[in-house]
Amino acid sequence: MSILEHNGAAIIAMAGKNCVAIGADTRFGLRMQTVATDFEKVFKMSNNVFVGLAGLATDVQTLRNLLKFRLSLYALREERDMKPEAFAALLSHLLYEKRFGPYFIEPLVAGLKDGDQPFLCGMDLIGAPVYTNDFVVSGTCTPNMNGMCESLWRPDMTPDDLFEAVSQCLLASVDRDAMSGWGAVVHVITPDGVTSKRLKGRMD
Amino acid sequence: MRLESILDLGKKKVAAATDELGFALAGVKDPAAYSAANFSASYGATQDVKFAKGTTTLAFKFDGGVIVSVDSRSTMGNYIASQTVKKVIEINPFLLGTMAGGAADCSFWERNLGTQCRMYELRNKKRVSVAAASKMLANTMYRYRGRGLSMGTMICGWDASGPKLYYVDDDGTRLEGDVFCVGSGSTYAYGVIDSHLRRDLTVDEAVDLGRRAIAGAAHRDAMSGGWNNLYHVTEDGWRFLGQSGR
Amino acid sequence: METTTSGFSFDLCARNARLEGKAPAAMKTGTTICGVVYKDGVVLGADTRATGGSEVADKNCAKIHYLAPNIYCCGAGTAADTEKTTELIASQLDLLRLSTSTQSRVVAAVTLLKRMLFKYQGHISAALVLGGVDCKGPHLYQIYPHGSTSKLPYVTMGSGSLAAMSVFETGYRDGMAEAEAVALVKDAIFGGIFNDLGSGSNCDITIIRQGGVPEVRRGYETPNETAPLRAAYARPASLRPPVGATPVLSTLVDVFDAPQPLAL
Repeated sequence: MSILEHNGAAIIAMAGKNCVAIGADTRFGLRMQTVATDFEKVFKMSNNVFVGLAGLATDVQTLRNLLKFRLSLYALREERDMKPEAFAALLSHLLYEKRFGPYFIEPLVAGLKDGDQPFLCGMDLIGAPVYTNDFVVSGTCTPNMNGMCESLWRPDMTPDDLFEAVSQCLLASVDRDAMSGWGAVVHVITPDGVTSKRLKGRMD
Repeated sequence: MRLESILDLGKKKVAAATDELGFALAGVKDPAAYSAANFSASYGATQDVKFAKGTTTLAFKFDGGVIVSVDSRSTMGNYIASQTVKKVIEINPFLLGTMAGGAADCSFWERNLGTQCRMYELRNKKRVSVAAASKMLANTMYRYRGRGLSMGTMICGWDASGPKLYYVDDDGTRLEGDVFCVGSGSTYAYGVIDSHLRRDLTVDEAVDLGRRAIAGAAHRDAMSGGWNNLYHVTEDGWRFLGQSGR
Repeated sequence: METTTSGFSFDLCARNARLEGKAPAAMKTGTTICGVVYKDGVVLGADTRATGGSEVADKNCAKIHYLAPNIYCCGAGTAADTEKTTELIASQLDLLRLSTSTQSRVVAAVTLLKRMLFKYQGHISAALVLGGVDCKGPHLYQIYPHGSTSKLPYVTMGSGSLAAMSVFETGYRDGMAEAEAVALVKDAIFGGIFNDLGSGSNCDITIIRQGGVPEVRRGYETPNETAPLRAAYARPASLRPPVGATPVLSTLVDVFDAPQPLAL
């Protein structure tokens, strides 16, 4: 079994009209043993940039700290927040720097660019970016999530509809994956603020 | 009975050997090693065929009889293939078998056990004892030892000597006991059972314990889950106590 | 922590050797890319599918990369490698232009690329089709991951290269007109899109003309558009989860510029 599947994860990012949502499960497992059910995999980088880190838990936390550090340096030097496009490029370079000894992370970036335009980006573990304008997924059940998103995504969803779509895609996907689930969090990002909800899901 | 088919593998002709039961073996040099490498339920590095497996099953004896409690999840690798598997096999009105390991191996050989038990009844004009039934299954397993079969089962029932519980697995092990948990989630289930089991539990308490043990295992073990099926075995045979979930 | 070094970092290699059973697969561009030289320049073409194993990771990725105003490069192989290698060479060419105040030569780009790829002995898996126009005329090269190159009038690369080459071998003529060349490249890419499982979606084309501005035709043809198909049938009501359908345990609302996040 791949080391990317050691701890288990399921993350979906989806675009709506002037909003984006990013949701993840909350399981932390060691292979088949569920150790914790409140593990954070999605992190707020700034008001308009969220990052989801799926993969090896130790690298999730290392990379989260590294990104926070690089973002703080940027804020000190530039006296402004980083745009989501720039953040995705930074992350891509951080990953490709370790081309021959990678972090075992497949990240997603979700944010709003130019104030209210959805920005979505996925990457493989060595930083090859995938830019989309509908949805991106990452984790141990990508076939499930891609299938759900292809069915439930539609253009120009409102923040409320977007929340339901992401939540249902996530919950249905993890119900068919042994490595992820045990609760979920969904963040909906709009120009005015962020709504974060914890979802009730199966605990087996 | 001996069926011999010839597989033409290039110039070399290899006989697909069959044993006395007519169970066809792979037409390769070493059928046992081939089966063990490619068809065992534990996933090897090069194994392409992934079986439905992963389970928590338990059974325990108490003053009120035997409680048999199982989950219903089947996984193939990480994928949850089913949440509604019947893991208790009703061999006859007085005998239950549980299913852990390869789903196909368990259901095939326990069905086979059912026919052997019925043959016993017809020949001897009396019900087969749990000891005899479990021994028949263990003998079958011993005959195929090392061929890659995967089965961890509990044969539970009530016979002339009272409530009986046996553990039988694919390498021919056969144990009599008061408590068994089998499957990937068995350690979690043992944790719950061992802390609360007493001989003088009421039936309601015992049923509750059976349910709680499966719930605990389903929570911690990624390969166990779905629904809980529960059976109670008494003097009058087994009784299905229903399915509960989430 | 050092943040100003350049080049690859091998920090995690020792740890990963301990962790890895089988190394996780990076995203590939199971690809069809190609190019032809015609009368007044070069035409490059590419499909737009990126795969991760048997899954389509990106349905519309750009595989024709910018190297210089007069040079473009199609990439096949590991997605990150083609992306970052062309990015790196593009910046090296930019610096070279700044110091020499001349247009980049196509051979210069090829030399930079082949030296880098040879140095990494094929571990950077980028298979490239590089085309451009300079003072010596139009040039078209193919570059293999180990650093070998060939200069040819028509080339194909990637998993769909056989399908594309069969189109070139039947249709190519010396000194074609631009429209003919573009049509041929499109047909070659379609050969890959429809006959190679690793390739798919759309056909991108870039035309680099002698003495002109290059024309980047992203989505030159889109034979696999799903939007019309989706619009053609009414979405079942069950595929629109109503608001409130998902059971929620807790809600936290963070209104920007508000003093405290609001728990509901």
